[in-house]
Amino acid sequence: MEIVVLIKPVPEAETRLRPDRGGAELDPAGVKFVLAGYDESAVEQALLLKESAPGTTIRAVSLGPLARSEEVLRAALALGVDHATSVEEPPGVAHDPVQVARMLAFVVSRYSYSLLLGGKQSGDEGSGCVPSAVAEFLGVPDFGSVTDLKWDPIAGRFTFRQSLERTVLSVEAPPPVMIGLQQAWNDPRTAKLPMILRSRKAPIDRVPRAEVEALLARHPRPAVRAVSFRLPPPRMGARMIEYSSPQDAARKLVRLLTEEAKVL
Amino acid sequence: MPDFSLSEEERSLQDLARKFARTEMAPHAAECDRAGRFPEEIYRKAWELGLMNLNVPTEYGGSGLTLLQQCLIVEELAHACAGMTTSIIANCLALEPILIGGSEEQRKRFLPGFCSEYHLASFCLTEPGGGSDAGALKTRAVRDGDHYVLTGEKCFITNGPFASLYTVFATTDPALKHSGICAFVVSRDTPGVVPGKEEEKMGHRASATSTVRFEGARIPLENRLGGEGDGFSIAMRTLDQTRTPIGALATGIAQAALDHAAAYSLKRETFGKPIGEHQAIQIKLANMTMELRAARLLTWQSAWTIDHGQRGSLESSVAKCYASDASMRIADEALQIFGGYGYMKDYPVEKLLRDAKLAQIYEGSNEIQRIVIARQLLSAYA
Repeated sequence: MEIVVLIKPVPEAETRLRPDRGGAELDPAGVKFVLAGYDESAVEQALLLKESAPGTTIRAVSLGPLARSEEVLRAALALGVDHATSVEEPPGVAHDPVQVARMLAFVVSRYSYSLLLGGKQSGDEGSGCVPSAVAEFLGVPDFGSVTDLKWDPIAGRFTFRQSLERTVLSVEAPPPVMIGLQQAWNDPRTAKLPMILRSRKAPIDRVPRAEVEALLARHPRPAVRAVSFRLPPPRMGARMIEYSSPQDAARKLVRLLTEEAKVL
Repeated sequence: MPDFSLSEEERSLQDLARKFARTEMAPHAAECDRAGRFPEEIYRKAWELGLMNLNVPTEYGGSGLTLLQQCLIVEELAHACAGMTTSIIANCLALEPILIGGSEEQRKRFLPGFCSEYHLASFCLTEPGGGSDAGALKTRAVRDGDHYVLTGEKCFITNGPFASLYTVFATTDPALKHSGICAFVVSRDTPGVVPGKEEEKMGHRASATSTVRFEGARIPLENRLGGEGDGFSIAMRTLDQTRTPIGALATGIAQAALDHAAAYSLKRETFGKPIGEHQAIQIKLANMTMELRAARLLTWQSAWTIDHGQRGSLESSVAKCYASDASMRIADEALQIFGGYGYMKDYPVEKLLRDAKLAQIYEGSNEIQRIVIARQLLSAYA
């Protein structure tokens, strides 16, 4: 089986985010971009399938500024992915999921695959439509919010569950398919030290910016740009209520909610 | 010009160690400290990820890390728990004599097993009657045909009760002093090898320390490292190599102490403002920061020196001694910033102070380090 897994570099969860000078974008200075969340689950899923179906090869593909995408590709290689392709993102398209998907589909179409994997959404912007749009460009059926993905070698089908509104659907689908995975249901593994060292020396196939720029030039779209970048207001500190009895605590809480917070 | 930036490879190793320290070690540090529990399940996980046997070269199944890379890992681990770190890096100390004094055949016989399977090893130099005075050791090695018979007792042996292999230093004749010492690789299965009970320690309580007694243990000739009388030099060259990571361990403790103290100083209020806004506390935090950074730089410089092919006796003594003294002062100041709470076991800083203390004592006491430093200094003026 040949698997292509799409991964996106996203800011590390502990990073302190702030807007750049223009106030429209994240200031990338000092921000560490990592393989995280949904995509980490997607890589883990690919590795589980590889372990269950010998002979499987996995290629990770990532789009972004080169240094960032290659960092997450190396993380994927350290986890056990076989091949990696980085696609250098041209400026001004990062916020347009359709153009992002167009570039990814363009690159993925060079490889043979029976399974396309990705997180059901990215860990930062999370538009949630890139996997579906990639599938659309490639003419492949796609499924989102997937867990428990398995390959049935006898029937030659994938089986999986889809968590939908108030229901869980069990699905069988023949290859090729695009699967958008639910986050953190499969306990992603940690890369081992010797693999980290090896991943640093592994080759990464590069798709030059000029190639994807030429593609986008053939399919122009109105520019999508960020207007402002704001952080949610800081959380107000917790306040402990001192009380002598539960009734006293309730009375004080109600008074604070009505008189100070003015929410009642 | 010196270059203090870390490569992507070095950063990724640091990230691995940090992640392991935070997710696997830190949550259990207080509990293991309180109970004096040796968390072997954590050590097994460390081994699985390749965080043990950091000094074993690739040709023997290891990762072939530079000393600087080892130090980056050790600092991150020690940030979470110095005791666990001591047990995790004890294999490096125990296997180093094989790397330094062993023949190619011996390296191939003893080292790959540690990389393919989880095993612990212990370095057995110190004796009840003398730690720093290694030339005066009393454990006897008596030649008997193609064997040596070992008799004597070693103490303060890290991982002693759990090790499957010991590197042991013994003398063929105490009158020969340094030149009578031999180094041996001793399997735990050898009849007459008797590890003692675990000691109750002030700190590093997640690490196991015991005596190891040799009661007429017969060691085959092919397990002697180097020639007869090479033992002292093997021990000293081993310590030259392993002292620098102790500087990194002390730096990790110090960084943890500063992290706790700085965060606490912004939360705790006195006289209507966070104590971090009082200059008395700011001066403490600034001093801690300066000492911490000096400790880290000396450690990196020592690692760099050794990675560039020099023995680094002076550099590693300076790094180990300064970093461990600094770590003790920083942990002490962190506790002072926490005030009464710092003295309570519910808060993490009193453990740091207890843990920092050991780094001034083991792998050559800081008094011995100063003797080494002064000797080298004065020899330049003689």
